[in-house]
Amino acid sequence: MTTTGSTFDSALLETEERRALRKAVGALGRRYGRDYFTAAVREGRQTDELWQEAASLGYLGVNLPEEYGGGGGGLAELSIVLEELGAAGCPLLLLVVSPAICGTVLARFGTDAQRQRWLPGLADGSLRIAFGITEPDAGSNSHRITTTARRDPATGGWLLTGRKVFVSGVDIADATLIVGRTEDARTGKLKPCLFLVERDTPGFDFRQIDMELSAPEKQFQLFLDDVALPADALVGDEDAGLLQLFAGLNPERVMTAAFSVGMGRYAVGRAVDYARTRQVWSAPIGGHQAIAHPLAQAHIELELARLMTQKAAYLYDAGDDMGAGEAANMAKYAAAEACAKAVDQAVHTLGGNGLTAEYGLASLLTASRVGRIAPVSREMILNFVSHHSLGLPKSY
Amino acid sequence: MSLRIVVAVKYVPDATGDRHFADDLTTDRDAVDGLLSELDEYAVEQALQIAEAADDAEITVLTVGPADAKDALRKALSMGADKAVHVEDDALHGTDVMGTSLVLAKAIEHAGFDLVVTGMASTDGTAGVVPALLAERLGIPQVTLLSEVAVSGGKVTGRRDGDAASEQVEASLPALVSVTDQSGEARYPSFKGIMAAKKKPVEALDLSDLGIDAADVGLAGAWTAVQEAAARPARSAGTIVKDEGEGGKQLAAFLAEHKFI
Ligand SMILES: Cc1cc2nc3c(=O)[nH]c(=O)nc-3n(C[C@H](O)[C@H](O)[C@H](O)COP(=O)(O)OP(=O)(O)OC[C@H]3O[C@@H](n4cnc5c(N)ncnc54)[C@H](O)[C@@H]3O)c2cc1C
Ligand SMILES: Cc1cc2nc3c(=O)[nH]c(=O)nc-3n(C[C@H](O)[C@H](O)[C@H](O)COP(=O)(O)OP(=O)(O)OC[C@H]3O[C@@H](n4cnc5c(N)ncnc54)[C@H](O)[C@@H]3O)c2cc1C
Repeated sequence: MTTTGSTFDSALLETEERRALRKAVGALGRRYGRDYFTAAVREGRQTDELWQEAASLGYLGVNLPEEYGGGGGGLAELSIVLEELGAAGCPLLLLVVSPAICGTVLARFGTDAQRQRWLPGLADGSLRIAFGITEPDAGSNSHRITTTARRDPATGGWLLTGRKVFVSGVDIADATLIVGRTEDARTGKLKPCLFLVERDTPGFDFRQIDMELSAPEKQFQLFLDDVALPADALVGDEDAGLLQLFAGLNPERVMTAAFSVGMGRYAVGRAVDYARTRQVWSAPIGGHQAIAHPLAQAHIELELARLMTQKAAYLYDAGDDMGAGEAANMAKYAAAEACAKAVDQAVHTLGGNGLTAEYGLASLLTASRVGRIAPVSREMILNFVSHHSLGLPKSY
Repeated sequence: MSLRIVVAVKYVPDATGDRHFADDLTTDRDAVDGLLSELDEYAVEQALQIAEAADDAEITVLTVGPADAKDALRKALSMGADKAVHVEDDALHGTDVMGTSLVLAKAIEHAGFDLVVTGMASTDGTAGVVPALLAERLGIPQVTLLSEVAVSGGKVTGRRDGDAASEQVEASLPALVSVTDQSGEARYPSFKGIMAAKKKPVEALDLSDLGIDAADVGLAGAWTAVQEAAARPARSAGTIVKDEGEGGKQLAAFLAEHKFI
């Protein structure tokens, strides 16, 4: 595939190291390529070879602290990794949850023992952690989460009860970080708390949801009925749950944006390749403005989304959690819209071939919608921007 | 004692880009992005493997090229080389293989070496003779075009695969080896390697540092001159044989017609 040029090729925007990382990850991704990814999906396998190789090169733990085997970089680096793998046609979805959300939460709020137990494995790719917040009856409204933990007086541990839905990668994750609530001993009010539930914990029941998505990673429904957890399953401090949650959610949005931008770039690249050579009248179809302009538009919108993604990562890495929150939401929104539009136009550019299995673009039609829905829907971002950025009355 | 390895790496215009000649018939280096010659990545990889197998080794990567050639050095450093030497001088523009090998030889002597590793050919000039010229100038044995290479007991050994036979070859150090694209995939730079590369020393040298007379290099000093250069005509569309039962026969007929069989 010819790589389309980008305003990001300039040596002035990103540091030499980040540009080198982009190139190296892109080269690795292209060696595996889209065919490797689709073959894995078809055969019901995970893309473990890519995961392992990227991990051993330190790409999957770029954002984690060096003392735990990570790269000592930030979200800027991690989002580059996901974006470039996606642009090569083989994104690793679990980067959104494992190093980005769970790695960040543990690095910032975990106890020493929890960091020792999990971070080196997250950094070298040998361990993965999924993230479960969505509930069947809460959905976009996370204030309605009912998964609840109570102290088990017999053991000093916890008993966790609740339902989760659409949680990605539970089967291949060594543990799932679950957002629950617990009663504040002083006020009696429920406050959020995060729990690490290891996959083989007795009573931890997860069932695959049949999704119309072509991806190696699957979504699961979780059933927990008084699942007994050790005391140290609670992440960090009992009173820091809300802070932990906010710390994890910005990286999640930035990474979802990177996921969408990568997919969009891949789709536009395929379409441009095709439009350059496919000829049914006297010139290649790329010479028709009806084909060229929408691709140009898609390219522009992806570049804009990419810029916003970088901005959000920059703010987050610089420690501005509030500023990063607004930018991360906007980046996620922009990237999802740009990606959905890019994929739509790419499929159309290929005519009938856009819907063949051989070209493999049609499956991106569903995949590109994920960024509009998860981890927070387009409408919820618009609600947030209306209220928070524009100061309009709160509607939700 | 530490094994000193010098790897000669060339900065070349990206072969996937649209390459052109400049008015003076040298490569137009401004028009396309440059990078570390892919074939020299194999040389870096073999040097890294030799160094990893040795008790104590140090790898210097060396390039002769314009300012941007630093990118090639940086890439090699991020793959794991220890330090770099960059020979840059305006007088080098248009240098041929004789001049290039002269400059490389002086720079290698300056750096100090037990083993010199090169690629099999550059991806732009593709002369493939620099390694031999270099060994001659350094007065050391050359074992070229290796697909396997190892160092032990003061000797470098390797395998050279020919059309008819594979040869086991060896030379005592100091020596020069060139490695082929069959020697094993080059590694990708790790994130740690990328971060470390910036802190590794890059020594910048010009012709006077190496005691080279500018008249011996450059376009004027070249032994050969490019008289004319023309773009290769566009490839005409190929013939697609659709297999509807007779595919094999049609293929054979096509090959026979063009005297391939
Ligand atoms: C592929 C995939 C992977 C996922 N992975 C994970 C995971 O790993 N972990 C996890 O916890 N979750 C995961 N999710 C779940 C995802 O985060 C939720 O689907 C998402 O938050 C939306 O919740 P919901 O599906 O319940 O939709 P609902 O909340 O039911 O929303 C339905 C529709 O109503 C709209 N809506 C709702 N409220 C309002 C309002 N106030 N104003 C305007 N519109 C409104 C929404 O925008 C949406 O269009 C995943 C989802 C998908 C599709
Ligand atoms: C447009 C154009 C015009 C040219 N004109 C002439 C001419 O008039 N006369 C002439 O003789 N040659 C000419 N050349 C050849 C040019 O000068 C060569 O590129 C150069 O001398 C090195 O030869 P090579 O690239 O063919 O190296 P090769 O012999 O193919 O390279 C083999 C190995 O040598 C090492 N090596 C080669 N060059 C370098 C370097 N600069 N720095 C570090 N390591 C290196 C690398 O390890 C490489 O893998 C021309 C080339 C071009 C593209």
